[in-house]
Amino acid sequence: MIRLIARRELTELWRDGRLAGAGGLVALLVCAALAVGWQRQHEIAAERTAAQVLDYDDWVSQQERHPHDAAHQGMHVFKPEPALAIVDPGIEPYVGSTIWLQAHRQSELKFRPAQDATGLQRFGSLSAAWVLQVLGPLLVIVLGFNSIAWEREQGTLRQVLSLGVAPRQLFWGKAVALGGAVTTLLVPCFVLAAAAVLYASSAAPVPALARLGWLAGAYALYFGIWVFVVLGVSARVRTSRASMTTLVALWIVTVVLAPRVIADLSRRWQPTPTRTEFEREMQHDLNEEYEHAWREQFGTSVRWGPDLPLDKWGISLRVDDHAGYGVTDEHFGALWDTFAAQRRFQEWAGLAVPILAVRSFSMGLSGTDFSHHRNFSVAAEQHRRVMQDLMSGDLIEHADPLKDRHFAYQADRELWRQVPRFVYDAPSVGWALRESWPGLLVLALTCALSAAAALAAVPRQRML
Amino acid sequence: MRRPLADARTIAVFETRVLLADRTLWFTALATLVLVLYGLLNGLAQTGERERTITGIVARQAETERGNRDLLRQVMARAVTPDPFANPVDPASMGGGMAARHAIMPTTALSPLAFGQADLNPDYYRVTYRSKATFMYDGEIENPWNLLTGHFDLAFVLTYLFPLLIFTLTYNMLSAEREQGTLRMLLSQPLSVLTLLAGKLLPRIGALLACAVAVPVVVVLALRPESRHGDQLALLMLWAATVASYGLFWCALAAVVNAISRSSAANALVLIASWVVFVLVVPVLLNLAVGAAAPSPSRTELATRTRTITVSALARYNDLLSSDYKFVADADILLPKDGRLQIPERMQGLYLVQRDTDVELERLLEQFDRQLDAQQALVDRFGLLSPAIVMHEAMASVAGNGARRFVHFRDQVGAFHRQWKAFFEPKVLQGLAVTEHDLDTLPQFAWTERPAADARAEIAGRLAALVLPTLLLAALAYARLRHFRPI
Repeated sequence: MIRLIARRELTELWRDGRLAGAGGLVALLVCAALAVGWQRQHEIAAERTAAQVLDYDDWVSQQERHPHDAAHQGMHVFKPEPALAIVDPGIEPYVGSTIWLQAHRQSELKFRPAQDATGLQRFGSLSAAWVLQVLGPLLVIVLGFNSIAWEREQGTLRQVLSLGVAPRQLFWGKAVALGGAVTTLLVPCFVLAAAAVLYASSAAPVPALARLGWLAGAYALYFGIWVFVVLGVSARVRTSRASMTTLVALWIVTVVLAPRVIADLSRRWQPTPTRTEFEREMQHDLNEEYEHAWREQFGTSVRWGPDLPLDKWGISLRVDDHAGYGVTDEHFGALWDTFAAQRRFQEWAGLAVPILAVRSFSMGLSGTDFSHHRNFSVAAEQHRRVMQDLMSGDLIEHADPLKDRHFAYQADRELWRQVPRFVYDAPSVGWALRESWPGLLVLALTCALSAAAALAAVPRQRML
Repeated sequence: MRRPLADARTIAVFETRVLLADRTLWFTALATLVLVLYGLLNGLAQTGERERTITGIVARQAETERGNRDLLRQVMARAVTPDPFANPVDPASMGGGMAARHAIMPTTALSPLAFGQADLNPDYYRVTYRSKATFMYDGEIENPWNLLTGHFDLAFVLTYLFPLLIFTLTYNMLSAEREQGTLRMLLSQPLSVLTLLAGKLLPRIGALLACAVAVPVVVVLALRPESRHGDQLALLMLWAATVASYGLFWCALAAVVNAISRSSAANALVLIASWVVFVLVVPVLLNLAVGAAAPSPSRTELATRTRTITVSALARYNDLLSSDYKFVADADILLPKDGRLQIPERMQGLYLVQRDTDVELERLLEQFDRQLDAQQALVDRFGLLSPAIVMHEAMASVAGNGARRFVHFRDQVGAFHRQWKAFFEPKVLQGLAVTEHDLDTLPQFAWTERPAADARAEIAGRLAALVLPTLLLAALAYARLRHFRPI
């Protein structure tokens, strides 16, 4: 019976043109977004890979110079663009992609693409994820708002139920039809996305496809939520007009309005420091730590003089660096933890505003969320520390025996070669799931809750 | 004899009574008021935070300058031996960081009206003689998730939500009368459908514009006293006219939809679909098109070029960089003699590396700002495709948080940076000690606002871009209503 009802519903959706019109438009937008995403990802990934190779070659082939000057020249590392950025670029427009690993200080990733864009960027970027998250629910509403309410208005609902069809059978038939309609539209998009991701991740296609599979599951839950909400409202209200009004209002509140309010609340709950506050506090702690370390190591905090000749430059660099690592780890860690707490807050708000949960999980599995960004930043900083320790170690080894020719020392390529090439292994699917599981859990819970609420709205007396 | 104005007034009075009685007007006006005030309060809070940050920076800079002056006096009086890397008489120390001054872009009286690009672009830079690459790439700290979501500011309320609130009052102005069977009765009176629609629109527009335009104007005038004068007052009036025009655009669209004579449900659907297209889809597509038509130069390439420029500069000055600091053996070297100071050759080398890097980088960095200008020109031209884009850009411009003002700021920072380097270069290269007189004549960043006429012209252009389609829609509604069939 459910199959029969579903087939009849699908036929009607096809015949009245809604499936082809509204659905076709959304599918077209998703395909266009995938094409744009693929081109963008392909260009960026190729450029960054080439730049990374070139950068290391330049480092190794630099001429003889003082190791500390070489450390000042440093090297750049470029964040690889994940294959699934084709589907969901996530926070990529708002975070930097390049980090300059230099002497003395941990640096942040620079060059946020949004800073090179006009104010239009704030309306959003066209991506498959944006279309699915923002316009997807609207598609479900257009396809299903009158699913039950219209039958009631026409009087056919009474007839169908009088034939012995159980209300829940009718409900599930319509749910299968609505879900089936959305699936029919999105499966070709998914296949296209899989082909693009496969092409972009030719070196390691399995993890990328696994991530895409999880994404498909999350979006299925997200659309499931909206299918149940739409059917629940359509069963609950008296007219299709009221159903449309209620659902559009719900869409506006949960997709357009609430995410901004919740972002505000998360900021109030876990305030982000300003740059001046952050830098002032970190510098204060660094100065204290440097002084303490110098007194402990050299018995003085005066930088260079009779008590501390320049042949100690190498060891002093190491003392400074190691004293600073803990402080920078603590401050950057606290800042990033604040961002993570804000994200968790918004993920759990997904119970009422599902777009927040799906957005979080989608960018998490696409490798374009802050956890992946943080993972890369930490890997880059570790590489900087390796480079720094090697340079300082060489200076300790070649401490100036004449005491006044310290900067005359020049290292050669043997030393440059000791710095390994920066190789970044993107985190595994398991890691991404561990970071993003609350989003998926919230989606599953919300889907179950909306299904239960919709089923509660379908007992016979309410349907009639 | 027909008296359209008097009839419209009478209808407006009756319509107001009906709307008040069924609570629709109360509800919509209250919702508008709450959203507008929440957005405005967020804007005021953000502007307040920016202003506190800037006040703190200015205070700390003044404190640092007093400290530098005191230290310089003590050094000159031979009362203390200076720290070699924080020596107030050493131009390399002072110009390279110790005396660094901030270039600050102030907020404006109207900043609370829109966040614009202010959460993304810094409004202060700490300028030294070091290369721009060391200080111009920083941004304010903000969770990128929140940047992606956007802020709940007044510009968001007015651009996104205001049209929807207008729809709740206007989608069924004629269709509801038809569905209730009263339209035929009304039009059997000596009353044209145009007068009827005008009378229905008046209380609706009046209530919404009072909440969306008058309330923010009153709040801003009350809480931001600088907005009561001169250019800012003129901009505030332009802002009010822009918001009113934007509201009227959506009202005119609702009038056209009503004039097409469909059911209320169909009207609502058409209006929501128009909103989705104009407010959500067109801006996102235009953003894509603008990025494709005028792409930003590659930042990856910039990083690569920065490195190669730095490498060649390091090689050029390798001899200078290889020299030691002589103060380690002879601390007296840190003190000036006859106005001269022996600047360590290594410090001179480091200065020259930074200077040369900067000269070459300047051209590359300029390309980014010029390309952003080109993108902005495209947005100005093709933004007409969506009133939401025009509105959004106008809001940011009025608030002084638009892309153009930030480019204007960066240009001024560039000029100040050159001035700062020109002040210190002869001292570093010729070994001239910094004196107290130098502290009095240190370059000071003086912010120059964009010419008020430019900002006014920009916003007036956007206002025209809203008024024109509104008039076209009104004309279309008029034409349809002249041949309106109530059945």
